[in-house]
Amino acid sequence: MKKFLTVLLVLAMLMGMVCIASAKVNLILWTKEGEELLQWNKSLLEEFMKANPDITIELVKKTSVEILREDFLTASLAGAAPDILWTVSDHAGPFVVADIIEPVDNLFDLNMYVDSAMDAVKLEGKYWGIPISNGNQLMLLYNKKLIAEAPKDTDELFAVGKKLTTGGNYALVWNQTEPFWLVPWLGGFKGKVFAEDGVTPTLNTPEMVATLKFLHDMKFDAKIIPPECDYDGADTLFKEGKATMIINGDWSISGYVSALGDDLGVARIPKVSATGEWPKPYTSGTYFMLVKDISGDKLKAAQDFIAFVSSKEKQLEMVRVLNQLPAVKEALDDPLITENPILKGSADQMVVGTPMPTVLEMRCNWDSMKPEMLAVLADIKSPEDAAKLMQSSAESCIKSLE
Amino acid sequence: MEALTAEVAVNTLKELGSMVLYIILGTVILEILVYLVLGKIFKSKYTLPYMLMIAAIFGITMLVIYPIGYEVRLAFTNMGLRHFRTYTLSWAQGLKNFGLIFSEPVLKQIRFFPLLFRTILWTAVNVVFHLAGGLGLAILLNRQMRGRGIYRTLLVFPWAVPQIIAVLAWKGEFHYEYGFVNVILKSIGMQPIQWMVSPFWNFAAACITNIWLGIPFMMVIILGGLQSIPLEFYDAAEIDGASRWQQFRNITLPLLKPVLTPAVVLGIIWTFNNFNVPYMINANELETTDILVTALFRAAFEYHRYGFSAAFAMVIFIALFIIASVYIRMTHGLKGAYE
Repeated sequence: MKKFLTVLLVLAMLMGMVCIASAKVNLILWTKEGEELLQWNKSLLEEFMKANPDITIELVKKTSVEILREDFLTASLAGAAPDILWTVSDHAGPFVVADIIEPVDNLFDLNMYVDSAMDAVKLEGKYWGIPISNGNQLMLLYNKKLIAEAPKDTDELFAVGKKLTTGGNYALVWNQTEPFWLVPWLGGFKGKVFAEDGVTPTLNTPEMVATLKFLHDMKFDAKIIPPECDYDGADTLFKEGKATMIINGDWSISGYVSALGDDLGVARIPKVSATGEWPKPYTSGTYFMLVKDISGDKLKAAQDFIAFVSSKEKQLEMVRVLNQLPAVKEALDDPLITENPILKGSADQMVVGTPMPTVLEMRCNWDSMKPEMLAVLADIKSPEDAAKLMQSSAESCIKSLE
Repeated sequence: MEALTAEVAVNTLKELGSMVLYIILGTVILEILVYLVLGKIFKSKYTLPYMLMIAAIFGITMLVIYPIGYEVRLAFTNMGLRHFRTYTLSWAQGLKNFGLIFSEPVLKQIRFFPLLFRTILWTAVNVVFHLAGGLGLAILLNRQMRGRGIYRTLLVFPWAVPQIIAVLAWKGEFHYEYGFVNVILKSIGMQPIQWMVSPFWNFAAACITNIWLGIPFMMVIILGGLQSIPLEFYDAAEIDGASRWQQFRNITLPLLKPVLTPAVVLGIIWTFNNFNVPYMINANELETTDILVTALFRAAFEYHRYGFSAAFAMVIFIALFIIASVYIRMTHGLKGAYE
């Protein structure tokens, strides 16, 4: 055993020497993607490295978006940050404020990307990311075996929902623990989380109170949603056919296509009958971001890789494999998208979406909305009290960021 | 998780190899430096001992002393997301950081003193149950009975499971619909509890999990203490007509004190600083379940208030130091260690 370990150690050291002495361009790429998207990440890297043998890209998967954000900040502080990030647009806010990512204005031809996708990462007059996919919006997905057509408005949703919710089966499920799922309804009630200046929270408003009341009614009066339901719970109920409809994002479509096949339908989240407005989910997407001060061979290699992923061919491959909308204008008009009913539904929802704020203050808004929304859904706080606390909480949090 | 292919193995060996190389290279340079400076220039007779210790001294300096020093320095800066690379260091900023801990909410709404009170409550509830449960089980096991080894193994089981795995499993068991706790409650005709949403019940869920995790440690320590008490004391007490309770109160408890005091002090420190349980059970990030260390983590890594958080960490350290000192002084529990 001792001999074996000694041989292994010597072997490792020799390999280490080879590694240290290597003249290749080595890039490190951090991704936040889950299993299905990760497979696509890997296949892209393999293909790119095969075509560019002098470039090595090491893929590091972070277990969640939050971990990626925290680790990137820590690594930047320690001077050991990765070269490229594959992440969400809302990271641009904290990373720009912390001055740890590089603007991309002069590094790429930005005209080839969808304008709304570029606008999502525009801060301080500069662009901070290159979009990979476009959308990330929540939408209504339904099981055609259980319902022929999606309800058009909330009155219809409640009426149909009451019939569909019986004996452990639910009409509608969504992740009730995250305010990301509250925001579309708030938009449907004509509310916004920030004032016109984009940084002052507007959470204690009649629109927010109406939204919270609506969610409370859906759970306690109409009883068309489960008593408690997180992301995994909602996902499982829908995949097992125990939920007729789910509100989920474009990232989940490929999983539901595998589970339901042609029985999967995609539609807009039903119009809010009280206001006549469509719910407005946040839109963003996934982006490449470059570490601050990247230069020389590394920058060139990163530009080549990003150009490779942005090619029409790879963008359409993403559409085929993941059912996500591309971020490159040229790929948007392809029949693969225009003739696909699922992607058509997804694009239709995106039309009424609203860009997700990327400013640092949004973090405080998310964290302030979450516990109060949960308290309303647990029936332990009134919507009025919850809205008041959301506002005071967000204000206090934003003050502490200075 | 990635499968162990030849490529993965080679990459791992490469990484490991370069790391080992750097460590060996660094150690050799250090040893040569010490040899040249102490042995050749100063001709010290302690050259060899210093050469033997230098690697450990270097390691402790880099891994313990430097981070603590960095933390203290950080407490006197305004480092945060808005001042990430260009922060300022000053006494005034340090005073401001310490002042903010007591004058403003440390997170969104919760202030320092309610948080401290909740942490003390959390510590007290857990340590009391750890002690009572551990003592009860140790007394039950400290007698001849069939299958004692099996019982002991089963009871030590929670301690053997990695804490994070145990906490994640418990988190699943507190699920509203599918968790066994609510399934049992429903089966006996009671209303299910919203463990993850209700502030009171979420705190209770964290306490239940930590009590389950902590009892085996106390049981093992106390069992060791019980087995070291000579049986002659009990025989003599029985001859004098002492009841079971009198024997427990006048023999068992006083003789267990030297074992119990360090165990309780450790229990207080571990529970006060327990991060995994209140953080993981609090899946919905309720401020009402946060204790000092979880609030500190959120302030530092969710709100990026690094300077403030460093000062906050120092305050927590002082609070813990005072609590442990008062307890040791009151119980004279470490008297035996010094005499």
